[in-house]
Amino acid sequence: MSKTVISMRGIIKRYYIGQPNELQILNGIDLDVTQGEFLAIVGQSGSGKSTLMNMIGALDRPTEGTYYLNGVDISTLDDAELSRIRNKEIGFVFQTFNLIPRTSALKNVELPMMYAGMSRKARTARAEELLEIVEMADRADHQPNELSGGQKQRVAIARAMANRPSILLADEPTGALDSKTGRLIMDLFHKLHKEEGTTIVLITHSPELAQECDRIVTISDGSIIGDTGVREDAIH
Amino acid sequence: MQFIENVRLAFTSLLANKMRALLTMLGIIIGISAVIMIMTIGTSIQKTLSNTFNSLGSFNVFDVGIWLTDYENYSFVEDEMISREMLDELIETHPGKFEIQLTEQFGSATTQNPNGDVLTLSVTGGMSQDLATDHIRGRGVDYQDNARGKNVVYVSDLFVKQYFGTDTDPMGQTVELTFENGVSADFVIIGYSKLPKIYDRMYEPGTREVDKQTPCYVPIDTMYRLMHTEYTPKDYVSIIYNTDYDEAELKAELEEFFNEKYAQYPQYYVTVRDEQSELGMINTVINIVTIAISIIAAISLIVGGVGVMNIMLVSITERTKEIGIRKALGAQNSAIRMQFVIEAIMICLIGGIIGILLGITGGLLIGWVAKTLVTEFYSEYAELIAITIEPSIPAILIAVFFSILTGVFFGYYPANKAAKMDPIDALRYD
Repeated sequence: MSKTVISMRGIIKRYYIGQPNELQILNGIDLDVTQGEFLAIVGQSGSGKSTLMNMIGALDRPTEGTYYLNGVDISTLDDAELSRIRNKEIGFVFQTFNLIPRTSALKNVELPMMYAGMSRKARTARAEELLEIVEMADRADHQPNELSGGQKQRVAIARAMANRPSILLADEPTGALDSKTGRLIMDLFHKLHKEEGTTIVLITHSPELAQECDRIVTISDGSIIGDTGVREDAIH
Repeated sequence: MQFIENVRLAFTSLLANKMRALLTMLGIIIGISAVIMIMTIGTSIQKTLSNTFNSLGSFNVFDVGIWLTDYENYSFVEDEMISREMLDELIETHPGKFEIQLTEQFGSATTQNPNGDVLTLSVTGGMSQDLATDHIRGRGVDYQDNARGKNVVYVSDLFVKQYFGTDTDPMGQTVELTFENGVSADFVIIGYSKLPKIYDRMYEPGTREVDKQTPCYVPIDTMYRLMHTEYTPKDYVSIIYNTDYDEAELKAELEEFFNEKYAQYPQYYVTVRDEQSELGMINTVINIVTIAISIIAAISLIVGGVGVMNIMLVSITERTKEIGIRKALGAQNSAIRMQFVIEAIMICLIGGIIGILLGITGGLLIGWVAKTLVTEFYSEYAELIAITIEPSIPAILIAVFFSILTGVFFGYYPANKAAKMDPIDALRYD
């Protein structure tokens, strides 16, 4: 019944640092994510979770294996097509917020829609609506350096949601925030998950945060070593 | 759509680093303003020259000269020089094509107006009068007046006022002129012009109107008859040509005519020069000089362009993270490239516009200084030299075009570098 959003088979990522030394980061990942899941990928630093995130986010192509995102094989696309996929299908939320400096919150939220070729009027309306959802409407004209960390992250989440992506991909979204603000951001993710039915992939090294999610995938040394499957008894 | 967005973006980023943007623009500003200034000066010199020539008279004149092939062993012999017979033959064999601009000064003449005031005129005798731009009424002295030895005179508006006041129509009226040798004769007024400006400068301040000497023009043959003198052979005559005919053909006919006359004298050779084409030649020389200096000035544009490229490279390195974010949000490589190329173009275009304004200001300033100097030190010629200062419109358009071109050329490499950044590396950059 539920649509499969991510379908990864035997994903291998190798880096070549000079001919004899090859570094294998991912050792054959198989992963399926269905629509509406709130999935946590946990692992230690160097476990390969960042590389996996880049792969899911269409920032990188696997060395081997296939990755279907909404039925499209990402591993064979060129740069321009990957850009289009990132624009339409993926919403990134970063640990360090990554808002464009000297650009208002509203303009930041408009960016993905600008790259999608949406008209100015339509994207401004949509951006205002999104800022409303993340409770940042009153700060629409503020520049990033006039916002607190939590506020920046809210704007970043609004921006990630701009083109109604298939996946919201959050990389340690609370990592740069104090616990109270982090809590509010996590609440926002839960709200989006419940109310908008957004598929969320949360990458974290924190087991506590992972416990809040429907499903936890644990990665170590480039392999999946644990997958809880979708749990009905998730803490939240 | 994205274009306007990119222009805004470029402005934002330039405003964020105002000082840096200005210093980067400096090279472009200097290059463009130098080119514009030189072009403005060049165009102004050309305009001034052609306006000055135009104000002095018409261009449709050939200068025929005879020259010795060897000045050490030969000298001019009067009997061999350009004779009156030759000129008459030229007119007769080429009817309607040529007139001889032969003039001679015959001192002064006096006349009395009805009030008994003695008026003085300076007398120019001529074959065919070339009417200047300040001609008012009637006609000038022509070849027929000479051939018939008519007593006709062409005067100035000041003389008309001196003699007749303002009520009488001077055309066809007779005045009696008494020449320096005591000979008197009646002359019929056939036309008059405004008093040439140069006369105004000759009068002592406070000279009464009736005491001002004015010029007049009479047929040269009439003067020869009255003064008991005659034509002296010349090594040089000016020949007015009828512009209804093809200039080059008339020139060829003149050359043929005089070459044939001088075929028997191997020690002479004939030249026929054309004032119009000489002005054209001067203009060509000025053009070449202007362009050559402009090209040298344009080298600073290249230096400026390299400065732009340098700063763009710094800028994209500083903004690596931003480029990474934009790519993560789905910006195509082409969008990133466009963003930075437009930023480079904006730097160059703004620099170019400032340069154009500075260049025009500089050119006008130099022109104004030249005008002031001429008025100050050569006041007697100031009104004859029609100084015209005009910014060169083609130069401005070319400057705008080259500013944009510099932006594209020197902005493309850094922009392309930005476009090809790996999004993962760019995002990781701090």
